[in-house]
Amino acid sequence: MDPKINTLNEKLQQAYLGGGEARIQKQHSKKKLTARERINYLLDEGSFEEIGALVTHRTKDFGMEKQIFYGDGVITGYGTIDGRLVYVFAQDFTVFGGSLSETHAEKICKIMDMAVNVGAPLIGLNDSGGARIQEGVRSLGGYADIFYRNVQASGVIPQISAIMGPCAGGAVYSPAMTDFTIMVQDTSYMFVTGPNVVKTVTNEEVTSEELGGASTHSVKSGVAHKTSANDAECLEDVKKLLSYLPQSNREKPSDLTFDLKDEIRESLSSIVPGNPNKPYDMHDVIEGIIDEDSFYEIHKDHAENILVGFARLGGKSIGIIANQPLFLAGVLDVNSSKKAARFVRFCDCFNIPMLVLEDVPGFLPGTDQEWNGIIVHGAKLLYAFSEATVPRITVITRKAYGGAYDVMNSKHIGADMNFAWPSAEIAVMGAKGAAEIIFKREIQSAENPEAKWKEKEAEYAKLFANPYSATERGFIDEVILPKDTRRKLLKAFSMLEDKKVNTPIRKHGNIPL
Amino acid sequence: MDKTYRLEVNPDLEFKLSTSDISKTDIIKLSKSRYHVLHNNKSLITEVLEANFNAKSYTVKVNNNIYNININNDLDDLIKQMGFEVGATKLINEIKAPMPGLILDINVKIGQQVNEDDPLLILEAMKMENIITSPRDGIIKTISAVKGKAIDKNELLIEFE
Amino acid sequence: MKKILVANRGEIAIRVMQTAKKMGIKTVAVFSEADRNAPHVRYADEAVCIGKAPSNQSYLLGKKIIEVAKSLAVDGIHPGYGFLSENADFAELCEDNNITFIGPRSKAIRIMGSKLAAKEAVKAYNIPMVPGIDEAITDVIKAKEIAKEIGFPILIKASAGGGGKGMRIVEKESELESQMNRAISEATSAFGDGSVFIEKYVTSPRHIEIQIMADSHGNVLHFFERECSIQRRHQKVVEEAPSSILTPELREKMGDAAIKVARSCDYLGAGTVEFLMDADHNFYFLEMNTRLQVEHPVSELISGVDLVELQILVARGEALPMQQEDLKINGHALELRVYAEDPLNNFLPSVGTLETYKLPTGEGIRVDNGFEEGMEVPIYYDPMLSKLITYGKTRNEAIQLMIKAIDNYHIVGVQTTLPFGRFVCEHEAFISGNFDTHFVKNYYSPEKLLKQHKEEAEIAAIIALKCYIEDQQLLRLPN
Repeated sequence: MDPKINTLNEKLQQAYLGGGEARIQKQHSKKKLTARERINYLLDEGSFEEIGALVTHRTKDFGMEKQIFYGDGVITGYGTIDGRLVYVFAQDFTVFGGSLSETHAEKICKIMDMAVNVGAPLIGLNDSGGARIQEGVRSLGGYADIFYRNVQASGVIPQISAIMGPCAGGAVYSPAMTDFTIMVQDTSYMFVTGPNVVKTVTNEEVTSEELGGASTHSVKSGVAHKTSANDAECLEDVKKLLSYLPQSNREKPSDLTFDLKDEIRESLSSIVPGNPNKPYDMHDVIEGIIDEDSFYEIHKDHAENILVGFARLGGKSIGIIANQPLFLAGVLDVNSSKKAARFVRFCDCFNIPMLVLEDVPGFLPGTDQEWNGIIVHGAKLLYAFSEATVPRITVITRKAYGGAYDVMNSKHIGADMNFAWPSAEIAVMGAKGAAEIIFKREIQSAENPEAKWKEKEAEYAKLFANPYSATERGFIDEVILPKDTRRKLLKAFSMLEDKKVNTPIRKHGNIPL
Repeated sequence: MDKTYRLEVNPDLEFKLSTSDISKTDIIKLSKSRYHVLHNNKSLITEVLEANFNAKSYTVKVNNNIYNININNDLDDLIKQMGFEVGATKLINEIKAPMPGLILDINVKIGQQVNEDDPLLILEAMKMENIITSPRDGIIKTISAVKGKAIDKNELLIEFE
Repeated sequence: MKKILVANRGEIAIRVMQTAKKMGIKTVAVFSEADRNAPHVRYADEAVCIGKAPSNQSYLLGKKIIEVAKSLAVDGIHPGYGFLSENADFAELCEDNNITFIGPRSKAIRIMGSKLAAKEAVKAYNIPMVPGIDEAITDVIKAKEIAKEIGFPILIKASAGGGGKGMRIVEKESELESQMNRAISEATSAFGDGSVFIEKYVTSPRHIEIQIMADSHGNVLHFFERECSIQRRHQKVVEEAPSSILTPELREKMGDAAIKVARSCDYLGAGTVEFLMDADHNFYFLEMNTRLQVEHPVSELISGVDLVELQILVARGEALPMQQEDLKINGHALELRVYAEDPLNNFLPSVGTLETYKLPTGEGIRVDNGFEEGMEVPIYYDPMLSKLITYGKTRNEAIQLMIKAIDNYHIVGVQTTLPFGRFVCEHEAFISGNFDTHFVKNYYSPEKLLKQHKEEAEIAAIIALKCYIEDQQLLRLPN
């Protein structure tokens, strides 16, 4: 065969081996797939076109010129997932531990630029020891080039980060600025400073897992939006997430075909208990409304008093934000406000209509909340909703008290349709508290203050613990039967399909951060 | 390059085949989906009924019988070997009736701890007694099945915690 | 007879109604709640729902059916097979209500319904019967005497029931006592009656039956024999006419014997006399089935008659329009009962929906069918989907045609006995005619079907892989 072709083949074979058989075995023994295996699993069969397979680093310091690996620790290119174009980079832990060098960063930046110009999602499979120390500042520069592009791409194309190994130091900022971060259990971790430095500076003894493993970030910090059991499941999760999103902000997500029937859901009639102090699982309401098995929950274990996620309604991709009465009675607090606000803004970026299911008794009181700035964080959610121009519909299932009523996509802040179930209670506050204030003198001067209070509470409840005050003023468009909710929503979202709102020209607003 | 693949046919058969096995078999393409095969001098007409390239699954008819085939390459086997199951985090929580019939007997109570393969209930259908066994370890949360009552296919019988 | 009600369902109901329509007679169908959308309901001129799905709440409700018949001015009721077809009380109910029961009189049903009464009736005509005693006994000593007389091996059969319970084969005298005791105890616990018959056990038995038809003018004709030796669990799966081993002399002898049996109980209408034949071609009377049988089509094809039409003629009081000498055998017919059963899993019923259901067609192929594509196989009734019947000038032609028909019968959604039928048709023992009722036991095992299944599966896999490799080469654009 032509010796020149032989040369090409040899180089490519070497590139495909990455850091070599031994390191590949080691990767497998840690229950991790290699970068190439991950890409092959993620993308449609045979669709991957690699870009920059033979790129090498240019460093001559510290004897680096003797260690040349084709690809330089990252595999970049494009392919399709379920026929849709995506750009992907996968860091190769077998080459220099996947560490980032100037050329490694250049490869990533190249496909990021293409993704933005073409308008297709960017998926990053992170598995890297961090900066390549031997490159010094060049490595830091590489990171920054990536960060800058993350921001340029933000809100233009969906960006998904899968953390499938270490991701430490400065490297973490890229996933942080992407839209969603999915971590693999047990084999991945993220932190700015690792346990060793932590020990020397603050004397805390902590493991990598505790400091920044998948569980930590999905429960405590909310840095991770989802955790997956293993590499394969992580990649399936990425694919599933992508199915709800459009290619770019210039498009809407594609619909799945759906055969409409009568769409009446009897199961919704029996979820909300008669006693307003008894909780119920808002998941049941969600399942009762959406297409079967279509709920993709985000941040499942973080700020559990609010639920967010994607779903399908009649085949259409929507975002759902719902208070969860099972946790903290569904109050809004610092974490739930932040969780919901970012999700709302993401949906708005990418033309995904939103459904809000409301059962909120108010904001969580207490010094912890106040001193941690519930004021500005609650305002975040209010701002996010008000700013969103995609169709947004609210269904109040039970409580909607006080300021939280305003915040949860009320009519006044631009919601398109506001529904309420007959069990809804729209009021300034709960009947008990309101009665105490309004009828203070009567209660105090009564023979039996307890009984008087109960009497006044009932009186107040009768007048205000219902949706009608608000409905009479047009703040609620229609009071509907729970079993008709899906029908009403299908029609409403369809009606709002071509909604267009003009926003004033400005660089961007100043959302309280 | 002669790659080997592991093919699963229907629910119970497996074959390891490579591209050389294909060239060893005498196959002629008759049309887009029909092929004529001479195997051990036997003449067979085959037809590809369904082809899903991305999922690597094909449905092929040979004589009058239909076979569902899943193709697994090295990566699939590696993933299987490493024990990666997709949906591994989702345990089976619901036991649904595999066919319509009559509940003859229920062997468990609510709150009972069961192990994988423990008998849960006995379902009679077309005069056959089928024992429904547990797919996992777990605690029984609810029992919707009623002894002596007829049930439809896919009806919920038992839920786990 | 202007209107007939068919007290049955599935393929036989349709088949009877087809002949009625041909004769210009109106039809009434009855159905259970599970059968509202069944083909037999849609085929009839009128249809009435008679109850819930379980047979004992619908198709077995004789009184209800008579009510419906009276309200619709029905002249005759055809009971098909199974259900009420051999229920003497129901036949009597029809007689009492002045509705013609298209079948024998209730008296004949009663006689032939009891093993004892049947043997008594037939004795006077010198019909050969399996050597044995005429009365049921419980005494072991007496059994030993009888066994010595008729010779081993012998068969112990429970008098009060069937289904294989209380039935035991005894090869040698030394086993007799213990087997007898066990048979008696089994029969006592199953039927409450421990009395048993002792008779000679016929080795290599073949099951050969004669189709007869009797009118009310004293004419009884036979329509030749059917060979039904391919059975599993004592149920027939493949039947053929004529038998591959009967000589014209044997045929005449057996035909005459069958006619005598029919006369012995003053028979009317269609009936079948069952015989057992041993390796030396001796035949023995087993029993008479006082109804039209499942496998009647093979007799129709070789004799060129419509048996249901003759049944109706006879019921109308007319004389049979032919003589015995006019009947001749022409060609050879084969029938495969297509059951929704899994031959790889001990023939257990296979539940499901008929996602694909396409019948084979062509000359010489007849399908007596009761199902359609999309239907669910109901769990309340017998799982027979249809009867696949082929007719050829020779036995071999019929067999080849059967194989072709099986290949063209497309059923997806349930397992069926079609692959089993193919196995039978390709088996040397069947082709040569050298088989008996032990065919399934001797030659069939799921492994044999599986082996062929495995070979085909490997071919399917190779084809799939070939397609896959080719698909890999195709260019797919990302946009």
